[in-house]
Amino acid sequence: MTIEPRLVITMAVICLVGIGIYGLLVTRNLIKVIVALQILVKGAILALVLAAKYQGQIQLGQSMALTLIVADTIVAVVGLALGLQVRRRIGSLDLRDLTKLKG
Amino acid sequence: MPAILTLSTILIPWLGAVVVWALGEKRQHLAGPAAVVFSGLAGLAALLLYPAASAESVIDLPMGDAFGNLTLRPDGLACLLVAIATVIGCLAVIFSLDYMRGEHQLTRYYAFILLFIGAMTGLVLSGSLLYLFFFWEITALSSYALISFNNDDPKAVRGGIKALIMTQVGGAGLLAGALALYAATGSFQIDLVLAAPAAIPGGVLAFAAFGFLVAAAAKSAQFPFQTWLPDAMEAPTPISALIHAATMVNAGVYLLARFYPAFADVPGWKTAVIVVGVVTAISAALMAIVAGDLKRVLAYSTVSQLGYMVYAIGLGAQTAVQFHLLSHAIFKALLFLSAGAVIHSVGTRDLERMGGLGKKMPFIRAAFVVGALALAGIPILNGFWSKELILEAGLEYGPAWGYWLMLIGAGLTALYSLRVTWLVFYGMPRTELHIHPAGKAMKTSLLVLTVGSFTSWLLVAVVTKISHLTLPYHKVDEISIGTLVKEILANPGTITALLTILGGAAIWVIFMRFQNLPKFLRWTIRPIQSSFGMEAINTGITRVVGFTAEKLRKTQTGLLSWNLVYIVIALILTIVLLGVGA
Repeated sequence: MTIEPRLVITMAVICLVGIGIYGLLVTRNLIKVIVALQILVKGAILALVLAAKYQGQIQLGQSMALTLIVADTIVAVVGLALGLQVRRRIGSLDLRDLTKLKG
Repeated sequence: MPAILTLSTILIPWLGAVVVWALGEKRQHLAGPAAVVFSGLAGLAALLLYPAASAESVIDLPMGDAFGNLTLRPDGLACLLVAIATVIGCLAVIFSLDYMRGEHQLTRYYAFILLFIGAMTGLVLSGSLLYLFFFWEITALSSYALISFNNDDPKAVRGGIKALIMTQVGGAGLLAGALALYAATGSFQIDLVLAAPAAIPGGVLAFAAFGFLVAAAAKSAQFPFQTWLPDAMEAPTPISALIHAATMVNAGVYLLARFYPAFADVPGWKTAVIVVGVVTAISAALMAIVAGDLKRVLAYSTVSQLGYMVYAIGLGAQTAVQFHLLSHAIFKALLFLSAGAVIHSVGTRDLERMGGLGKKMPFIRAAFVVGALALAGIPILNGFWSKELILEAGLEYGPAWGYWLMLIGAGLTALYSLRVTWLVFYGMPRTELHIHPAGKAMKTSLLVLTVGSFTSWLLVAVVTKISHLTLPYHKVDEISIGTLVKEILANPGTITALLTILGGAAIWVIFMRFQNLPKFLRWTIRPIQSSFGMEAINTGITRVVGFTAEKLRKTQTGLLSWNLVYIVIALILTIVLLGVGA
């Protein structure tokens, strides 16, 4: 049997999103949360390109994906910076210590 | 020219609000005079606009595809309310010059009054339901902000929030009705609905009709929403006079009057309106008799008089509604402002601590007595003519029980008007009160309104003629002064009504002899004082909401993992639902 490229990409999307959600569900470390979030978003970007291919508007999908990659990088940077600040102020990266909005 | 006048009744007050706000804390002594200028100009524009009122000189302002055009339609009904809102607004601002002297944050006070005046004129002028809703909510917002003006007083804050929440129920009803009409007609234009109500499916029309009834009941403090208005009396008194007696509470009556031609044929709607009006008028009049706070008595009496107007709408008596709306706005503003002068002078609102004040403030006593007599319906004051018109319509078109109950209501009105006047101005002083004299600005406003209470009924010919010409769907009859006088004096109902009014007054005189209620009647007071259990229902609802919220709070852990679990569950549910749907 031949392996369809679309099938491979679909599987990749499901794996990436699955890993991302699993990571977000089980981890309590802020850095790992950001890593899991990155994996999840990569899956979403891939899904976007795939959807564009199915719709026959591949250029639109690719340009959207490029935009998303840039935005996503900024999210990662800001997230890591926040993590650094949290570590400095609270002294821990455990999410359970971050449930209160007020000091 | 009418277009410029129409726009300026909205834009001048709003421009004024921005200017007054921009004056800032350091120049706040200028805020009052500036507000007088702007509200005076708006009042002038409204008075010039009124004779030029017409249904044709419509202004269409394009606002983008999503919202449709902002249509302003200066017809008779709208222009009447515009004139009331701006002129009484101007008088309330003038009164405030003395009343608010020495207070802080005056820019906030005057800016919100001007914002309110502009929103109120927009509300009545708007020919599009969507913009009517926007203006409706702006009036609710400024009402809230002004009730809670003394924001370090917890009672004022609580009263403001209560008013905001209860009128929001009405806002939801209005929005739901408007969206239903939009779904049926594809447009927010009010005229489309009024022109061809038969083209709208019956179910949609009934939904909108009862939605608007809820909206009107909440805004005009009608049963079962009447409890917010007495608590709104924590506001500075000019605010009570303007917003909670003369203008904003009329918005509900206006909404019903405007849509009456469309909803009149909805089965059960007219009866529902009559029942709401009668229940409100009677229960509020009873509460006014036992209330012990000067402003609360007046608040209950406002609720009761609005009940009369709602009742008249249920009868289809458009002329009587507009006429009583005008009279009530004038004499109730007069009563509130003179009550404000009393409160400002003696520093208390408790009726038990007043008494015998008339000798020390004869001018204010005269003004208050004129207002109270107009409220009681004594000839030849304006309240007499308009109330008789409503009762006459009730006798002619309405169910008999409604007429008799409203007649008793007129007697109760006379009873509480006499009681409150007596307790404040006559008899022996009950406590020693230090009295500040009333200022010139206060007296000016009171003088204008006193003259208005005597003479506004002479406008009947003008008001009905303009409404007759410009309201094609409402069927307002043209009445000249001569016909009005002849019709009312020749009507046998007038004698009955006057006898009932005298009877109500006589009850107070008899009661004065005994000094206190006879023992076998004392048990009746408790349920009236607790507003027939409505307050308990309100408290119950807030308790239930608080309790449920406290329980539901446990689901908000603030932990990312748990929030993600909810998202995943929702995702799975969506996929399953989509799968089932496909």
